[in-house]
Amino acid sequence: MEFFRKTNINFQGKRRIAITCSSLFILAGLVSLIVRGGPNYSIDFSGGTGITLRFAKPISEGQVRSILNEIKLGDSEVKTIAGGGSHPDILIRVKETAVETGTVTLVENNIRKAIPDNPFEVLQIEKVGPKVGKELKGKAVWAMVVSLIGILIYLAWRFEFKFAVGAVIATAHDLLVMMGLFSIMNLEMSLAIVAAFLTIAGYSINDTVVVYDRIRENIKKLRSATFFDVINISINETLSRTILTGSTTLMVLIVLFFLGGQVIHDFSFALLIGILVGTYSSIFIAAPILLEWEQISGTKRKKM
Amino acid sequence: MKKRNPLFRIILIAVLMIAAVYYLYPTIRFEQLKKVEQTKFATLASLTGLPVEKISRDAYVGEIDLRDSIPGWDGMDESARRQITEDLQDLKGPFRETIQGYRSKAIRRGLDLQGGMRLVLEVDLVKLLDNLAQRKDEKFDNMLEQIRSQMTDPEVEFFDVVKRVFAEANIPLNRYFLTSRSTESEILKYINEEASDAVDRSLEILRNRIDQFGVSEPNITKQGSRRIVIELPGVQDPERARQLIGKTALLEFKLLADPEMYSTLIDRVDRFLRKEKGLETESDSLAETQKADTDTTTKARTDTTQHVSQDTVVNLKDLFGGETQMPETTGVSIDANLLKEAPFKALLRDIGQDIVAVPTANYAAVNNIIHRKEVQELIPKNVEFLWSNTPQPGPGGELYWILYLVKSEPELTGSAVRDAKVDIGSGYNPGSSGMPYVALSLNRDGARVFSEVTGANVGKQLSIVLDNKVRSAPVIKTKIPSGNAEITGNFTMDEAKDLAIVLRAGALPAPVEEIEERTVGPSLGEDSIKSGTISFVVGFFLVVLSMAIYYRLSGLYADIALILNLIYIVATMAGFHATLTLPGIAGIILTVGMAIDSNVLIFERIREELRAGKTVRAAIETGYARAFVTIMDSQITTLIAGVALYQFGTGPIRGFALTLIIGIISSMFTAIVVVRVIQDFIVNKYDPKTLSI
Repeated sequence: MEFFRKTNINFQGKRRIAITCSSLFILAGLVSLIVRGGPNYSIDFSGGTGITLRFAKPISEGQVRSILNEIKLGDSEVKTIAGGGSHPDILIRVKETAVETGTVTLVENNIRKAIPDNPFEVLQIEKVGPKVGKELKGKAVWAMVVSLIGILIYLAWRFEFKFAVGAVIATAHDLLVMMGLFSIMNLEMSLAIVAAFLTIAGYSINDTVVVYDRIRENIKKLRSATFFDVINISINETLSRTILTGSTTLMVLIVLFFLGGQVIHDFSFALLIGILVGTYSSIFIAAPILLEWEQISGTKRKKM
Repeated sequence: MKKRNPLFRIILIAVLMIAAVYYLYPTIRFEQLKKVEQTKFATLASLTGLPVEKISRDAYVGEIDLRDSIPGWDGMDESARRQITEDLQDLKGPFRETIQGYRSKAIRRGLDLQGGMRLVLEVDLVKLLDNLAQRKDEKFDNMLEQIRSQMTDPEVEFFDVVKRVFAEANIPLNRYFLTSRSTESEILKYINEEASDAVDRSLEILRNRIDQFGVSEPNITKQGSRRIVIELPGVQDPERARQLIGKTALLEFKLLADPEMYSTLIDRVDRFLRKEKGLETESDSLAETQKADTDTTTKARTDTTQHVSQDTVVNLKDLFGGETQMPETTGVSIDANLLKEAPFKALLRDIGQDIVAVPTANYAAVNNIIHRKEVQELIPKNVEFLWSNTPQPGPGGELYWILYLVKSEPELTGSAVRDAKVDIGSGYNPGSSGMPYVALSLNRDGARVFSEVTGANVGKQLSIVLDNKVRSAPVIKTKIPSGNAEITGNFTMDEAKDLAIVLRAGALPAPVEEIEERTVGPSLGEDSIKSGTISFVVGFFLVVLSMAIYYRLSGLYADIALILNLIYIVATMAGFHATLTLPGIAGIILTVGMAIDSNVLIFERIREELRAGKTVRAAIETGYARAFVTIMDSQITTLIAGVALYQFGTGPIRGFALTLIIGIISSMFTAIVVVRVIQDFIVNKYDPKTLSI
C-alpha cells in the first residue's frame, strides 16, 4: 500500500502564505500572552495548593465554594473535572503565597462537617511552595534553551550553519505557536505541558532533519536544478514518510487523548497539536528559511 | 555483492535478549509475589478480624505486635492462633526478605500509579547557623536575614552565601563562631561540615521515623545540598505522616520562672504599653512600679471571679491606637476595669495555681505584644515566653491558651532520652486514667541530671517543651532518681505513638520546611493504571496493524522489531531500577508511535531503490545505507531534546524523559539491526525477485 507516489506539490510556492499565517498566529498568541499577563501557570509554577476530591454523590461547584467562603478561602478556584468516577470530581485550588501546613486539613475538615451525608475521598493533593515554582520556571526555560543550543551545534556540525539556524527557528516557531495556543485557549501551563513542549521540539527537529537530509543529498545529486526545485523535490520525496510517521504517532496520541484519562488529558492534547505543528513547520518554515537565506545572502549557488 | 554474515548481529540480538530477560525477571517475580502478599494480608485480616489496611501497615513494623491489638485473642482456638503467628512471622521474616530482594531490582511504580505521598523538605540551615553561633546581636540577626533572602535560589551554595554576606558586612566570622582565635577558613570549614552533617543526620532521623511509622517501601533521598525528598507509597493517612515528618521534635525540660518574676514582668509590659499610649509620664512611673508590685498578686487573684462577667469586646485599634501590627482580629475579650491601668494584664486571666491563661480570642493580640521588639527587651535574658501546645479548658469550661514564662536554658534535652514508649494511664490517677501517655526513660547521664534537677527544685514546676510548645508543666513532687519521665496531655493513641516515634528517633538538628507535597489517592492511581493500560494496548495494536497493512510482510518484520523494542525499553527501565509513571507510560506509547520512524525511513528508501529498478538485494543494501545517515542525524537531535528534558525534569517528568531516551536508542537498534537480520535472512535463503514492502 502507498499513499503518495511521485507527488509534485509546489510547497515552496506557498511559503509566503504559510509564513504570513504563522506570523499572524504567533502574534495573536503573543497578544494573548500579554493581555493575560503571561502564561496561565499551574500550581507547579505558581505555587499554592490543589486538592482533588471525589464525592460519593454529585455536588455542585457553588456548594463547595460556599463552604470555602466560610473559612475565608472564598477566592479559591473550584471546578469540576471529568474523572474515572460516575460523576465529575471537584478540584479546589487555594491560592496562597506560602505553603501553609494546615490548609489541606482545614479544607477537608470543613467540607466533611458541612456535608456529612456526602463523604468524599481525596484523590490528589498538590502543594507547591512559591520557591519551588520559581525554580521550576527557571529550569524550564533553561531546558529549552540548552536543548536548542545543543541541536544548533549538532546540526551546524553535521550540515551547514544555515540548516542549523533554520531548524532552530522552526522549532522556536513550534514552541511559540504552542504557547500562544495554550494562552488563547487559557489552558494551564504545568510541568507535564512543558515536558510535552520539549517532546514536540524533539519531534519537530527530527522531522526537519529528515527533510534537510534529503535536501543535502539532492543538492549534490540534482546539480542542474534550482535551489527552489531541490527543496520542493526533497519535500515531495520525503512526503510519504512524513505523513506515515506523523499519522501513526498521531493515531497513538489520539488514543492517549481519548483513553488516557484526566491526568494526562492536556498533556496528550499538547502533543497532538504539537505533532501537527511540528510537521507543518518542517515543510513550511524550516525549508523556506533555507531558500530565503540563499536569496538574501545573494550567493549565486542556484546551480550547484 | 558479497553476502553479509549475520552471525555477529544474531549473537548481539541474542545476548541483548538474554540480558533483557535477566533484568525483567525480578519485576515479573515481584508482581507475582505482590499478589501473594495481598492474599496473605486478606487471610490474616479474615482470621484476626482486623481491617486489611491495618495489617498491611503494621505487618512491616517490627516492634508493634499484632497480637496485642487483636480483639479476642484469648478466645481463639489454638490452631487459629498458631496460624496467625506463623503467617506474621513469615510476613516479617522470610517472605519479606524474598519480596524485598526482588523489589530492589524491579521496576518501581510511581506514586501517581500506586497512590502515595511525595514530600520535599528543605533543611533550615540559617536556623542551624543561628544555633551554632556562640554569641548573637542585632548585626548578626540582620546578616542572618540577608543570608535567608539570598538562599531562595537552590543552586546557590549555603557556604558561599555565608562567606559573602559576612565579607560584605566586613565582619570577621570569629566574632560569632568558635573562638576569637579561629581563622576564617577554619570557621567556614566548621560551618560547612556542620551543615552537610545536619542534612545527613536529618535524613537518617527521618528515615528512622518513617521506618517505625510503617510504610512498606519508603524512598528517602537527598536532593541537592539541603533538600530531602521523601516518597511514601500507599500511605493511608497523609496528615499523620505530614505531622510525623515535619516535626523538629526538639524536646527540652525547662524550669518555670518564679511567679513573682512573672508578675513583675507583666507589670513592666503594662507600664511600657501605658507609656506608649501617653497615659503615663516618666516621673510617676516609679511610684506606679511600687504600687503595682504590691498590688499585682493579690489583685489578680481576687479579680478572677469578676473578670468573666465584666468582659467586653473591644476593637484592637481602640486599644493600641492602631499602631501595632496585628492580624485582622474582629475583637478581643477585654476586662474593662483593668483596661486602662493595665492593658496587657487585661488580656490575661488567672485561672489559679499561678497559671497565666489567655482566652482564645486574645491569643493573637497577646502573641503580638510579647513578640514586639520593645517588649522582648523588657524580658530578662535568662527567661522566655512559651505557649502551651493546645488551648486548655479552664474552670468554666472555656478554652484558654496557657502562656508560660520559663528559663531559657533547658535542664535537659531530648538527647538524654534512651527510649520512649506509649503507655496507658493507670486507674489510681484520676485525671489520666485510661489516657495514653508517653513514658520516657533517660540514659545514664540524663538520669543523673534529672535526679539532681528534680531534687533541687521540689515544689517547682518543670515544663516539658516540644518544638517550643509546652506539652505539660507538672509540679515536681519529689526527687526522681530513676530516670523515668512522662509526657501527658490529651493524646489520642496515634498521637502518643507518633510522639514516641519522633522522640526515639531524636530531634532534627535544624527545622525542616515542607516546600512541596504531592499526594495521590489510591483511586486516582487505579484510574491511571486502568487508562494507561487501555491506551497502551489500543495504541500499540493500531501501530502494529497499520505497519502490517502499509508495508505487508516487511511491516510484520517491523512489528517484530517493535515488540523487541518494547521488551528492551522495559528491561532497560528495570536495569536502571527506574520508576514507571503515568507520563512514563505515555512516553512508551509515544515512543512506540515514533519508533517506527526508523523503519519507515528505511522502507521508503528501499521502495525508492526498487522503483529505480534495483534488485531486491541491492535495494535493501542501498536503502539501509542511505537511511542510516538520516536516522542517525534525526534521532540524535531528538536525543538532545530528551537529555535536556531529563536534566530539567523532576519525578514523573524524568520518568517520561528516560523512557523517551531509551526508546530512541532501542528503536534505532531494532530498526537497523533486527529488521535487517530478518530481511537479509529472507533474501539469502530465498533470493526473492520481489519484496513484500
